[in-house]
Amino acid sequence: MIPDEKNSSGPANRSSDSLFAADFCLPFLRNSQNADGGWGFHPVSESRVEPTCWAILALQASDNAAASVGKLDRGFQFLREAQLAAGSWAASPEMTTGCWVTSLACCVLTADAPSHDAVAAGLKWLCDDWPRDSAPWRRLLARFSSEHKISAQDDSLRGWGWTPRTSSWVEPTSFALLLLARAPREAWPSGAEQRRELARRMLYDRMCPGGGWNCGNPMVYGVAGAPLIVPTVWALLALRDDPNRAEFAISLDWLAKNIDDARGAGSLALARICLEICGRKWPTKAAALADFYRRNEFLQSVPVAAWSCLASCTQYDWLTGGIPERFAEHAKV
Amino acid sequence: MRRSDIALVPSFQRPASRVAIRRAASYEQDLAAMIHETLREFGLAVKDKTVLLKPNLVGLDPLGVMNTHPCVIAAARESFLRLGAAQVLIGDGPAMDRDTEAIIESVQLREFTGPLARTFVDLNVDDVKRVALSTRASCLKELFLPKTVLGADFLVSMPKLKTHHWAAVTLSLKNMFGIVPGSCYGWPKNVLHWAGIDNSILDINAAARPDFAIVDGILGMEGNGPIQGTPKPCGVLVLGDDPVAVDATCCRVMGLRPEKVKYLDAAGTMLGHVDPEKIQQLGETVASVRTRFAVLEAFRRLRQPDGGVWN
Repeated sequence: MIPDEKNSSGPANRSSDSLFAADFCLPFLRNSQNADGGWGFHPVSESRVEPTCWAILALQASDNAAASVGKLDRGFQFLREAQLAAGSWAASPEMTTGCWVTSLACCVLTADAPSHDAVAAGLKWLCDDWPRDSAPWRRLLARFSSEHKISAQDDSLRGWGWTPRTSSWVEPTSFALLLLARAPREAWPSGAEQRRELARRMLYDRMCPGGGWNCGNPMVYGVAGAPLIVPTVWALLALRDDPNRAEFAISLDWLAKNIDDARGAGSLALARICLEICGRKWPTKAAALADFYRRNEFLQSVPVAAWSCLASCTQYDWLTGGIPERFAEHAKV
Repeated sequence: MRRSDIALVPSFQRPASRVAIRRAASYEQDLAAMIHETLREFGLAVKDKTVLLKPNLVGLDPLGVMNTHPCVIAAARESFLRLGAAQVLIGDGPAMDRDTEAIIESVQLREFTGPLARTFVDLNVDDVKRVALSTRASCLKELFLPKTVLGADFLVSMPKLKTHHWAAVTLSLKNMFGIVPGSCYGWPKNVLHWAGIDNSILDINAAARPDFAIVDGILGMEGNGPIQGTPKPCGVLVLGDDPVAVDATCCRVMGLRPEKVKYLDAAGTMLGHVDPEKIQQLGETVASVRTRFAVLEAFRRLRQPDGGVWN
């Protein structure tokens, strides 16, 4: 149930967002699962890997995860079956080429013991997939073209692209780093350590002047790009084991200062997740997620409902690795 | 008939296109009346049809300088409903930011159109269908495109009048980049850049050619567009039944030579008309509304020399 406007509008506290997540978002997610075990981006839309991952993470992290075990099992099954022969996952069922959602699927499946071979294959695919823009021959060509004048970034630093053989971007790089942080070291394929280092350096190189990240264009034609909340969240979470680094601190400050400018529920929920994981207090004056829901019903988005659930969690084992405690307890039973 | 069948017709076999230029000094004018009157002139068969408006929503834009203005979107929606459309949806898939709700809220679209939960389609996360690219202008053999776009009875491209730092201009053809779903190709849709922007524009428009175009040229953008350029008042709406002819006309309004815009020149062979002889001009003349837009140095060749003759 959506909290009554009179009671919920205005500053949010954890309990009002938690109530909204528990009473509205979780049932929305439970009711949106398709017969094949996956979730679409909206209720009744075709199952896709990305929304399935977010829905699984949200259900796993809920206080009543045990009630969702059947749905979670079917969700895991959907993910396992969606894996391509190459070890990757595609964004849509008809597609035959893997992409960035491989990182996300592997992150989710690390919590599912029968899927460990699938995760190992996914990790190998990711570490074998190099973006094309930073290939040495490409950089040599770029030196003789007008392209080098467009941006000031260091193209020798390589992360991951959204799709194979394109350029490195902030969000897919962050998701791959989150996976590497979550996967046990013994599961890392050869070369993973080198990829991790390059990718971390790439993220710092792509930070916007003054902190924060956008998709990965900090400076174009000499003009500074404006940071955005969503990529800043994922980059900070990917780099959170180095909190004393100056770039990390100013980017976290940027995020904290810009919560009030969040115009979308997705940005608001993700900002909350990030700030709380990074040890910042969520401002008491911040808007309530229920108020955002009333405006556009989250555009019926499954990922946004899932992020809203994750934002109201008090534990972040869904991100930090291992089988979430509450889910593990149920599994033992 | 598939959209691509309609799209690909050699120029010499294609009937003349119609483009209307309307003066609109500000967004406070009664744009709905102006657009409705113009659409009636075109005699569009939209009764009982599903119309999809595809505005250009690039990013967070509280000042209304980079996105199609919500007044124009709302006015077009109202006009198509008055013409008897069964449903008028608004859809876009912003390229740089996956929080589409944040973008539509930043431009205050809801204030002009009413609740958007069931009117707005985030094309980045719509269900998709494989479309083989018969044009093969780029190296892409196929694209996965939103079912809402492919299933719409009447597709309207609604760009803002802007220069573009890579494609020279971004108008109704370039605006169609926004139908390519981020959930499949990322934010930005980088695979299109690798395939070549000009050629990708051709492939996308051949696969999903807009039936109509309405360009918001009341306040345009010049220089380093589409995001970081300079606002440029131009005071026009440009409407037409051929997106290529609309874009060619817009270039002429901007003081630029459309045949020098790579993708537009190529589009003129198969997708529509660039040649002014094949464009029936309605409303104002190009010359009467011409406002010279600044372009980056790389596009200096596009500029129409002072004293050039265009009507």
